Amino acid sequence: MEYLLNRYRTLSVLLLAILAQLVLLAYQVKSNGEVRLIRVWAVTAVTPLARAIESTRGAVSRFFSDYFVLLDVREENKRLKKELDRVNMDNQYLRSELDTADRAKSLAIFQSRSPSKTIAAHIIGNTTGSGAKTVIVDRGSASGVQKEMAVITPDGIVGKVVDVYPTASFVLLATDPSFAAGVISQKNRVHGTLKGQGGTKVIVDYVQNEENVEPGEWFYTSGDDGIFPKGLPAGEVTSVHPGKSKKEIILSPSGFQNGLEEVLIIIEGVHAPIPELPAPHQQIHVQPPPPPETSSAQPGGASGPPAATAPPAVPLSDADRILDRYRQLGIAEKHEWGVRGRGAPDFNLPLDAAKPAEAPKPKQNQ
Amino acid sequence: MLTPIETERQVPETPRQLRDDTRFALGRIVVFQYLAVAIFLLLISGFWILQVREHAANDELAERNRVKTVPLLAPRGKMLDRDGRVIVDNHLAWEVRLGRENLKPEHIDAIAAGLHLDPEEIRAKLRRFASRPSYVPITIKQELTPGELAFVEAHRDAQTFPELELIQHEGRLYPRNGLAAHVIGYVGEVSEQELDSPEFAKYSQGDMVGKFGLERQYNDTLIGIDGQKRVVVDSLGRERQVLDDVEPTPGHNLQLTLDLDLQAVAELGMEGRRGAVVALDPRSGEVLAMVSRPAFDPNLFATRIRADDWKNLTSDPGNPLLNRAIQAQLAPGSTFKPIVALAALESGAIDENYTVRCGGSAVWYGRVFKCWVKGAHGPMNVHTGLVHSCDVYFYNIGNKTGIDTIAEYAEMAGYGHKTGIDLPGEAEGVVPSTKWKLRNFREKWYAGETISVAIGQGALTVTPLQLAYAIGGLAMHGVWYRPHLVKGEDPGPPRRANLNPANVDRVLDGMYGVVNEAGGTGVSAAIPGIPICGKTGSAQRISNQLAKSVKATKEMKDNSWFVAFAPRQNPEIVVAVLWENAEHGNLSAPIARDVIKAYFDKKARQTMPKTQQMALFVH
Repeated sequence: MEYLLNRYRTLSVLLLAILAQLVLLAYQVKSNGEVRLIRVWAVTAVTPLARAIESTRGAVSRFFSDYFVLLDVREENKRLKKELDRVNMDNQYLRSELDTADRAKSLAIFQSRSPSKTIAAHIIGNTTGSGAKTVIVDRGSASGVQKEMAVITPDGIVGKVVDVYPTASFVLLATDPSFAAGVISQKNRVHGTLKGQGGTKVIVDYVQNEENVEPGEWFYTSGDDGIFPKGLPAGEVTSVHPGKSKKEIILSPSGFQNGLEEVLIIIEGVHAPIPELPAPHQQIHVQPPPPPETSSAQPGGASGPPAATAPPAVPLSDADRILDRYRQLGIAEKHEWGVRGRGAPDFNLPLDAAKPAEAPKPKQNQ
Repeated sequence: MLTPIETERQVPETPRQLRDDTRFALGRIVVFQYLAVAIFLLLISGFWILQVREHAANDELAERNRVKTVPLLAPRGKMLDRDGRVIVDNHLAWEVRLGRENLKPEHIDAIAAGLHLDPEEIRAKLRRFASRPSYVPITIKQELTPGELAFVEAHRDAQTFPELELIQHEGRLYPRNGLAAHVIGYVGEVSEQELDSPEFAKYSQGDMVGKFGLERQYNDTLIGIDGQKRVVVDSLGRERQVLDDVEPTPGHNLQLTLDLDLQAVAELGMEGRRGAVVALDPRSGEVLAMVSRPAFDPNLFATRIRADDWKNLTSDPGNPLLNRAIQAQLAPGSTFKPIVALAALESGAIDENYTVRCGGSAVWYGRVFKCWVKGAHGPMNVHTGLVHSCDVYFYNIGNKTGIDTIAEYAEMAGYGHKTGIDLPGEAEGVVPSTKWKLRNFREKWYAGETISVAIGQGALTVTPLQLAYAIGGLAMHGVWYRPHLVKGEDPGPPRRANLNPANVDRVLDGMYGVVNEAGGTGVSAAIPGIPICGKTGSAQRISNQLAKSVKATKEMKDNSWFVAFAPRQNPEIVVAVLWENAEHGNLSAPIARDVIKAYFDKKARQTMPKTQQMALFVH
């Protein structure tokens, strides 16, 4: 036996390794635990490699990008030199804007301003599945990441952490069909549930047909789901149609609009109020200077003043409407119900024929 | 260690020599090592692909063959008024169930927090239903709010809370402000005690059944038959394929006899007051309006009423859960006088010319009985006695008639018995008699007690529905149709009494005078052009002696009653009003007046062209 092992040592090691893999696979199949050891090993072993590859790719990409940018700048400078003061001013402005446009920097700015405690993470890979939308980020339990934590960008929500490993985590994107989050509309404060559809758009479900939602309106996280703190942008309504039993609302998710390379994982969420102003522009780093002639442009592309919050629409039955009609009639005829002296009202009087009078003080409903 | 010289010297010639050559062996090992590394890399990449890249897809494939039965809950039938307008509607709602097969006890606290439930309640429920098969899920919350829906949707994946199941159903939508709340009632989740009873044996935990009012009375009509579908779901609970389905059968709609126009006016008349209004069509027994105040919001019960809401309702001194229209058993006061007058006339105790001089009081059996009026009414006959509601006159005729004859005619009119209305919990009231006292108190009847009963006091109690029913039948000259709330329901043959029409007319003429003659106690119910007959009633809650000895609180003040019908000939509507603690009977008259006016205005409206009707009112 020893002879055989010595003679075929390499083969033996290989067989042992394969046997070990089989045992681990068997363990995985039998185990009822949520964390599969073999996955942990696989992810932990491969993450540094993936990170190295991603770093190399990023470095090469940045090199070429910088090279061409420098070429552009050189050419730009050549041209600018011919245009003295104005060109110098513009150049300064563009440099400033380009600095702001740096995604990492805007992420850091957002991170510092956000009331929630977040950590930045890089996306190092993605996974596939029929309709599944999951990405892998380079932060795991070692960085304090836990399952069901919210993942965002300065532009809006991105997804939630569904699996955590020591050095990496899996993030289910908001576009995944199994993703859901509580949202609330900015203008009319309509509550709903944002759901992924597998494509680039998402929907807002469970909104009654009686509720008022308008195209162009923004939805923010409502904090109802226990994942996302309240007040994060979720997306802009692109279309609204009344459905058979509830509204069909399609949303353009805002968290993805500038690509996904760096994200923030919310470690400790803090609820924030829904902004009363029109939605904050998600592209502050590329905001062009406003043309001097126009003054109506609004940041964020939304127009008009912030609307007052409307109460949620609640279905009414015929009984409610008829009671309201008689109440209005009583007010119009200055009739005090069940009181002597004035006689019975004319119930066939058209409401618009009588000028609405000041309503008598409503009695306490017992 | 081999040297080059040695190597050169020992060049192998044969295959055997070649195999024994160490250089060849070293080369083979190197090749083998590279091969092993390549295999390991291949394995690692395989792991990466299987476990990481294609993890979701593989997971889905593995779980794809799960078949699940999803219940399709049937909507309850709606309740409509007599014109087909919706009183009780349904609306889209969601409930969450706990699948006990996938349940992890450590999840309960988090689930309870997200759904605003008490985790101990969930655990107690799980313990109570432990004996039931584990594949039967348990409903833990109905009528989820949008926020709770978002919570369930965000967490009901296989990795988080796979035990959460979301079921769509049609929730009940009741009118606001407690409109007709006591009539329509409410639904609620079938209780465990109910499940153990044969009546509810066909239901399961989580089913919604009628608990009160018409919802309970007609539960079998209103409730539908649930359907179900068998679906293939993936690991995330998403439906992948529907294998088969059985569509739910909705419950039947219930068209009521209630008229929302009259109901609305009656509700507004009783707003902020404590009491009841009942409007009947005496020609058929159809209930046109029924109000009881204070009311409750049935929407609180549409799901599971919160403990603090229930506590508020049960501890409210106004007792809002009491349907005063059929359950308040109170002395009718002077509204009983038409029955006493009829009994006296029919029994021959008096004739139409019998007159009594009211001096403001009279002594009976050693006790002074006062009239309600300060001063005196003077000479009174049956007509003026009713118009002025003279107590002294009725003390006299009551004494002449006797308690048993009064009781006979009171019972003939429907007092002392349930009317048979199709609502649960109707009270009978009390019609005292010599037999009644002997049966209940084993005491003889004292003649002095008849004096009180003659003016609707003493042990006599009636419900507002009984009052409307009794006077409605009297207005029909002795024909009483069973009150009922469902349109098209056969009320059965009416009860008929063989009454002398002349005597009935004398009583009805007196009631006409109450509203339309000078000095009548109910003139505030008069409507020009509509011949209304009525009778006021002020019923003491405590004796005059007690009222003098203690400082009377609002709750001790007299109850105000008014009953009216119209028109005088061929009556179409009878209205009874009870306003508790309002002190004077005539204060209730305007409430009845407005309801009668609404009835005749609507009748006039129905003769207008349809477009004009639509312009005027909600239909």
